[in-house]
Amino acid sequence: MMPLTLVEIGKKNIIKKIGGRSEIRQHLENLGFVVGATITIVSQFGGNLIINIKESRIAISREIASKIMV
Amino acid sequence: MSCKIALVGNPNSGKTTLFNVLTGANQSVGNWPGVTVEKKEGKLKSNKEISIIDLPGIYSLSPYTLEEVVSRNYLLNEKPDCMINIVDGTNLERNLYLTTQLIELSIPVVVAVNMMDIVQKNGDIIETKKLEEAFGCPFVEISAMKSNGIDNLLNKVIQVAKKKGEKRVAIFNDSVERILAQIESSLEGKVPVNEERWYAIKLFERDEKVLSNIKIEKNILAKVEALTQELEKELDDDSESIITNERYHYITTAIKDSYVKKNREQLTLSDKIDRIVTNRILALPIFAAVMFIVYYISVTTVGTILTDFTNDTLFAEWIIPGVSGFLESINTAEWLQGLLVDGIVGGVGAVLGFVPQIFVLFILLAILEECGYMARVAFVLDRIFCRFGLSGKSFIPMLISTGCGIPGVLASRTIENERDRRITIMTTTFMPCGAKLPIIALIAGALFGGQWWVAPSAYFVGILAIIISGIMLKKTKPFRGKPSPFVMELPAYHAPLPSAVLRSMWERGWSFMKKAGTIILLSAIFIWFASGYGFVNGSFGAVEEYESSILGYIGAAIAWIFSPLGFGNAKAAVATFLGLVAKENVVTTFGILYGYTEVTENGMEIWSLLQADYSALAGYSFLVFNLLCAPCFAAIGAIHREMNSGKWTWFAILYQTGFAYVVALMIYQFGMLFTGNENVIGLVFAFIFAFIILFMLFKPYKEVHTLKTDVKM
Repeated sequence: MMPLTLVEIGKKNIIKKIGGRSEIRQHLENLGFVVGATITIVSQFGGNLIINIKESRIAISREIASKIMV
Repeated sequence: MSCKIALVGNPNSGKTTLFNVLTGANQSVGNWPGVTVEKKEGKLKSNKEISIIDLPGIYSLSPYTLEEVVSRNYLLNEKPDCMINIVDGTNLERNLYLTTQLIELSIPVVVAVNMMDIVQKNGDIIETKKLEEAFGCPFVEISAMKSNGIDNLLNKVIQVAKKKGEKRVAIFNDSVERILAQIESSLEGKVPVNEERWYAIKLFERDEKVLSNIKIEKNILAKVEALTQELEKELDDDSESIITNERYHYITTAIKDSYVKKNREQLTLSDKIDRIVTNRILALPIFAAVMFIVYYISVTTVGTILTDFTNDTLFAEWIIPGVSGFLESINTAEWLQGLLVDGIVGGVGAVLGFVPQIFVLFILLAILEECGYMARVAFVLDRIFCRFGLSGKSFIPMLISTGCGIPGVLASRTIENERDRRITIMTTTFMPCGAKLPIIALIAGALFGGQWWVAPSAYFVGILAIIISGIMLKKTKPFRGKPSPFVMELPAYHAPLPSAVLRSMWERGWSFMKKAGTIILLSAIFIWFASGYGFVNGSFGAVEEYESSILGYIGAAIAWIFSPLGFGNAKAAVATFLGLVAKENVVTTFGILYGYTEVTENGMEIWSLLQADYSALAGYSFLVFNLLCAPCFAAIGAIHREMNSGKWTWFAILYQTGFAYVVALMIYQFGMLFTGNENVIGLVFAFIFAFIILFMLFKPYKEVHTLKTDVKM
């Protein structure tokens, strides 16, 4: 398992675990970040990431990305 | 039959487009009571009996964002006759998540699968019949952009709205369903009929907001908690996550055999554009270039041409002479002519002159928003702006405010986070707008011999004021709280729909024009009256001398307030006071007070007179105060519209004026100290203020990391 921040751009990965406060985790789950979902990084800017999940593009900050384990 | 239909769906699912297709021009825009979330209502184009409510875009009915709370309160309390759940056909899995929650409410649902044109172009197949079975509600294929399938959708809606109480499908696995059934049965009679299921799930999830709204006996709550904990232990997960995972699991199973996706591995066009636009090296240059073009078109070239035409030709040469000619020809009384021509037409005209410029700017912004670029701007700037308590989206209002603060404040609407939005609204008018430029020119020319650095320093002061205010306000109680982590969906890039661009431009522009017709009209009448009438020799009437007018008295009465800032005389006080109406007034007022009926834009005629009355230091203090203090009436109106609360509007005005006062006082008093003319009392206050600001700047953020959602059962 490693945090999303260490993942190479363009590589497909499966979410293994999501940490962090339950409130933020719940919001992420509502957006489709659930264990088992396929996740791909599209682009990276200053630590913030644009990622592809369940056919949608979502921008997340580095703080959140570090809590998503793949 | 009159009937209410609510539109519900994810952001970027095409909800607003569908709303526009359904209602055409029959819509009204307002705010939900007490919050800054926009509320849109309309009447169906083909049947005025049917009203449609466009709920804010949401991903779920959980209580984590303002939009979600607003939407679910509406659905629970107002009980629309039917919901249209619009889902993005190119992103079925995520969009159907909300659907699983909507079908739990006791309101009939019709699912509109949008963007079918794109789905078909991609070669994908969605078997809506199978989805209907899986979710227990009708699915209709539409394309809101192309207006396809709308009639079919409406027929289904009318069919469904008539019959309520459809059978519900079981979403969750057996053990969850078993527990929910037990909770449901214990709630019978405690919650509205048919809503047991919704409340059962919410109690199982320990939803605080729902808990506080219903009255349920302690022993029942304890039973529910015991059942919840039992299942949590069994499945080794918290109840909220159990529900979420079950929902996704159900969707995945349901779409496995109803959604056939043509295999394609290559990057989508949006991904390719994002690779370039948000590229580490290119992102900022591309952003700078786009902003330069927007600024260049709306502020310097096309916008200025239009504004100059409105002010100098339309009003100055056609309307004003036309109106006064007409009034003279019908022998109107002289005072009434003065009121109508100088007061109303002149006053309102000065503000309406900005309308063309504002419209040009709004078109450009609407294009950037519609095509999807604005969301990327927020992404690119977020890392820089979050350092001083603002969102990446705060940049746009600030840029626009260098042209005019009114559209600047209105542009803050795109910021989702309410706290960030409020801070942006409060600080964005610190930027020197077009109407403040003459003040800068006057002070720089008269008191600084036209030195080059004065004008850039005004922008620097504005930016610094925003940064300092952002950092300080973030540490005060109303703005403190959970640091909101940056998560936002980026829409796919697409060509902007002209009708949507024009509609957005018109909505924002019209709200500005309405303001000009009310608040500015009244203030124009007041200023005209107060500057032309007063007491002479004990009797009230029209006056020749400015000093004896009502305004002159006001100026003399408030002048002392500005003494600590170095410009405590009636002339500067009146000029500042009238600057509240429109900042253009400041220079013209100085002109009038020094005995000129008209001065050029930079007030060149009065430079030598000003030099006699003010030191350079006092002049700079005057400049800074006028740059930072409460903006003109029109901008205050815009602040009120966006804050949607009188309390917050007053807070903004007082903060701006107080901050301006403190900064100007520090500049003047410290300046006096360096020139060896210090005033002890003034200096003491300057030091106190400086200390408070420094304290606020370096005080650590108070992290709120304890969750206040411990459930007491």
